[in-house]
Amino acid sequence: MALFPITGRFVGDFIPHLVAVDTDDTMADVAEKVATLSVGHRVPMPTDPPGYEVLLDDVVIPESTVFGAVVAEHDLMPLQWFDVRFRERASVAT
Amino acid sequence: MLLNRDDWYDTSRDLDWTFTYVEASDAFPARWSGVGAESADAWQAWDEPFRVSYRDYVRIQREKESGVKAVRSAMMRAGVYEKLDAGHVAASHLHMGTTCMVEQMAVTMQSRFCRFAPSPRWRNLGVFGMLDETRHAQLDLLFSHDLLKFDPRFDWAQKAFHTNEWGVLAVKNFFDDIMLSADCVEASLAASLTVEHGFTNIQFVALAADAMAAGDVNWSNLLSSIQTDEARHAQVGFPTLAVLMETDPARAQTSLDVAFWRSTRLFQVLTGPAMDYYTPLDQRKMSFKEFMLEWIVNHHERILEDYGLKKPWYWDQFMHSLENGHHALHIGTWYWRPTLFWKPNAGVSKDEREWLREKYPTWEDNWGVMWDEIIKNVNDDRIQDTLPVTLPSLCNLTQLPIGSAMSRHDLEPHQLVYKERLYSFDSEISQWCFEQDPERYAGHRSFVDRFIGGEILPPDLGGALAYMGLTPDVMGDDAYGYAWAKDYVTAEAG
Ligand SMILES: [Fe+2]
Ligand SMILES: [Fe+2]
Repeated sequence: MALFPITGRFVGDFIPHLVAVDTDDTMADVAEKVATLSVGHRVPMPTDPPGYEVLLDDVVIPESTVFGAVVAEHDLMPLQWFDVRFRERASVAT
Repeated sequence: MLLNRDDWYDTSRDLDWTFTYVEASDAFPARWSGVGAESADAWQAWDEPFRVSYRDYVRIQREKESGVKAVRSAMMRAGVYEKLDAGHVAASHLHMGTTCMVEQMAVTMQSRFCRFAPSPRWRNLGVFGMLDETRHAQLDLLFSHDLLKFDPRFDWAQKAFHTNEWGVLAVKNFFDDIMLSADCVEASLAASLTVEHGFTNIQFVALAADAMAAGDVNWSNLLSSIQTDEARHAQVGFPTLAVLMETDPARAQTSLDVAFWRSTRLFQVLTGPAMDYYTPLDQRKMSFKEFMLEWIVNHHERILEDYGLKKPWYWDQFMHSLENGHHALHIGTWYWRPTLFWKPNAGVSKDEREWLREKYPTWEDNWGVMWDEIIKNVNDDRIQDTLPVTLPSLCNLTQLPIGSAMSRHDLEPHQLVYKERLYSFDSEISQWCFEQDPERYAGHRSFVDRFIGGEILPPDLGGALAYMGLTPDVMGDDAYGYAWAKDYVTAEAG
């Protein structure tokens, strides 16, 4: 359990934020921490919110993955860039 | 018989010594002069177009000073300042806080020219440059001191560079680099040629015109008076470039390309919001982009062509940034307004928005949608949702927020590891600048680096504001108390 600073960008916002993530956080927690800085502030919340997903280098990380495991697996350094976006439902809808 | 200036001028400015007791390279170290022994002779060809003697200089400067003084006392008597528009006043706070100390830094740069420049002609001209810059710093202080009784923000003319306010750190970082730390050759390309001869026109010509339209005759007059000096002493950049094209053209290209991008970024925050958002709509002369294209871009292209240089490789990205960068810095500074020492005008009432759409066809999709969300929060009485709770990520080159170089549609990571540290950049161009000379930039700690390094306590936004030296009497807030947002209430109800 330790705080780890990341560069968190919510897709659609113009600016990424400095976000303190805990190594015990799941990707769902990380998504929430990043999204809460943009959604409802500069990015509108959709009427039927689809939930969020986290991406590292354009690859979605499963929601239950623990942040510390991602850091260890990719040997990440502080301020690593993560993207968070509204969950893409195109594949579910078809 | 008294000699004419032309009879003695060349002899006097070419006065130089041949060293016998010390090595020339000890008296003029390459790291100060910017010139290695191998090319020392080439610099004897350095020639300046301004044939100015000390006697002429004093006479002309004296006239300028009495002109500024006459306007100053007339305007103070007429109580002009009290009648100025709040949006316009913010532009003068921003200018004084971020520029006054840069003028003082320029004194140091010019004094380096006086002592270490690789040609006696250049050293001679440095004396006048040094006196010019002393005058500019003192004029800014005088102007600000006169107005201190109306607003404590004018204290920032002197105070700003002794604080850690993030915008000031970005300005300081750039001028520390090109004025205080650069050798004479580098300083003259980056500071004299790029900034003073090019970019200061935005501050000193465009802003002066806007200030005049806004009725701020005193400030407008001060800016114009300073500009007459800049236009002269900035000329040292041209002979420097001419010699460098003979000795090291690759260095000239890289130096100018780096300086041009860094200047662009800085003026996007120093002047972009002031021109396109703070200046009252009916008083705007040109958009920031129009002014940049006419006064900076054409001019820079011409210089490059005249001296046989190429356009920077990043030209298309630069043009795209002209369309976007200052809008990003405006919405960013407005949103993070408690971190400013001036009160920004949102400048997005319906009429103003119409103007923005006309000047910038992509404005609605790139920026308007985010302002809509802000407007909704303002009108629903959720001001707290229009205020920051954390820091934006910052660029390790420009020290400006990541995302403030282009639009939200272009935003992507630019990060690299250098000596076991991860550096972040606001664009591919800023990363390229860093890569040209990593040691020049590495090791500097941005505001974000200091925050995560535990230097800012408590580690929250309140701690950050205290670290920046922002006190309630100067802290930024919306210039008009959100009155502009009412436009949208009526529309929705109707
Ligand atoms: Fe100056
Ligand atoms: Fe200058």
